[in-house]
Amino acid sequence: MTLTSKTLAAIVVVVLFGGIYFSSAMGWWQTESTKEAAKITSGEFAGQANPADIRGSYTFGDVEKNFAVPAAVLAEAFGVKDSNPAAFTVKGLEEMHAASAQEIGTSSVRLFVAFYKGMPYDLSTDIYLPESAVEMLRARNLTSEQTAYLAKHTVPNLGAAPATSVPGASQATPQATQMPSAQPTLKAETPSTSSTDRVVKGVTTFADVLGWGVSQATIEKVLGAPMPAAPGMKVKDYCTEKGLNFETIRPALQAEVDKVK
Amino acid sequence: MITLFGKRIRLFRPKSIWIRKVVQWGFFVLIALIAVNHTLAESGGGIPLLASASLHAVCPFGGVVTIYQFATVGTFVQKIHQSSFVLMIISFLLAILFGPVFCGWVCPLGTIQEWVSNFGRKLFRRRFNHFVPVKLDKVLRYLRYGVLAWVIYMTAVTGTLIFAEYDPYFALFNFWTSEVSIIGLVILGVTLGLSLFVERPWCKYACPYGAVLGITNLFRVFGIRRNENTCKADGACSIMCPMNIPVDNKTVVRDHQCISCLECTSEAVCPVAKTVQFSTRVAPQAAARSAAGGSK
Repeated sequence: MTLTSKTLAAIVVVVLFGGIYFSSAMGWWQTESTKEAAKITSGEFAGQANPADIRGSYTFGDVEKNFAVPAAVLAEAFGVKDSNPAAFTVKGLEEMHAASAQEIGTSSVRLFVAFYKGMPYDLSTDIYLPESAVEMLRARNLTSEQTAYLAKHTVPNLGAAPATSVPGASQATPQATQMPSAQPTLKAETPSTSSTDRVVKGVTTFADVLGWGVSQATIEKVLGAPMPAAPGMKVKDYCTEKGLNFETIRPALQAEVDKVK
Repeated sequence: MITLFGKRIRLFRPKSIWIRKVVQWGFFVLIALIAVNHTLAESGGGIPLLASASLHAVCPFGGVVTIYQFATVGTFVQKIHQSSFVLMIISFLLAILFGPVFCGWVCPLGTIQEWVSNFGRKLFRRRFNHFVPVKLDKVLRYLRYGVLAWVIYMTAVTGTLIFAEYDPYFALFNFWTSEVSIIGLVILGVTLGLSLFVERPWCKYACPYGAVLGITNLFRVFGIRRNENTCKADGACSIMCPMNIPVDNKTVVRDHQCISCLECTSEAVCPVAKTVQFSTRVAPQAAARSAAGGSK
């Protein structure tokens, strides 16, 4: 059996579009996520939607549907002034808080929802919440561990004036949060780059860390691997490339940075 | 068509499979419109009656990279949707029957490389597509399997669509958005630049999806078959092959790089009718003629 180009062209087009049409008719053709969070499979909360499965593409409305946390509450917690908070996407927070010294994004919403619902959450990594969110959570039933965690992981609200400032200083200084047991470890919100705030985050390069006084040997000790030849590479990109968990490397590297402060 | 020394030779033959160009154009425009519409839809607008899916949702390779997570956890890698899985299955089905037709007829990145290569061909004429030393070229052809292994491994480990950052296809249809990375744009630029010298450089040396589909050339139902008894051995098929496959010394093309473009067949560049064909086996008439010729 021989096929001509015209026959092959027809087959390719018909099979592709026919396949899409068929899968669409069967309900298999989904070009968006279903916005249904995965369920917790075991333990006290088995069967409930898992906050850790919240995606950046979720809107506050999707979060409300899955977790019964009102979109208006989320908007208030994260300082979203949108007239229709239910349509605001979770990933939009990262852009909104781009100038923040700490990342406020999808993981922040996951943490907030978990605490709001009184559910446990993995606290082994650093996830930050704005003050407004923390204030709301304080009214909920939190464990002492959760309260202590929040005390160390609060950032000022968007547009909030620094609690303390050095007159005449060109850059904001570290400030304590409003939490009772807050520790003065967080930076004020400034549009500074990673090279000036001495906080290891997604955009931090190896050159930044070296510039902060951490030796190459120390960095390699933390990584458990040689540093890349190009120090301009982002630590996060390096971790991704090497299969390392950035969320594990980041606090270890931050600890080394803090040592040389 | 004339008969010369017992061989039927087409005097005025098409140089290319025009219908393939039409199909390629069609898919390129369709994907470009979908990508633009996705951006418009995200900002509250959009073109009515046109899909506004993300580029990831209409890429079959997304289905491949999420297989591991789907098998182990039952979920898709972030940004990958069920439609990618559907397209992957359709593409596999087509590939098992016809080889990597997706690469040769559908993929917009392959199409744009061919467009750039048209300039390269005019610039360098016979030297075009023959710049890379044969020995080096042979080794580099396996590089894409390394890329495939790396992408699958890294996606499994990180649970994220790590290849999007490096993917020139994603960069091509997202260069106006903030989602595209600088490295993706650089890879796209290098690919298009190299296309002036080499036909389909990305497909040949780096495309992980081409690597997957290329394997089907080893067992596809329809294949490029050459009747060596009617063949003039003028090498036209090999010269025209965008993937530099030496078709003129094979009876059946099983090369993992074939993209089933049909440019080597008697319908295009081969001057002898029914000598290089896309078939399940050599046409009976040609076989009979060749048998008769062989017994002389």
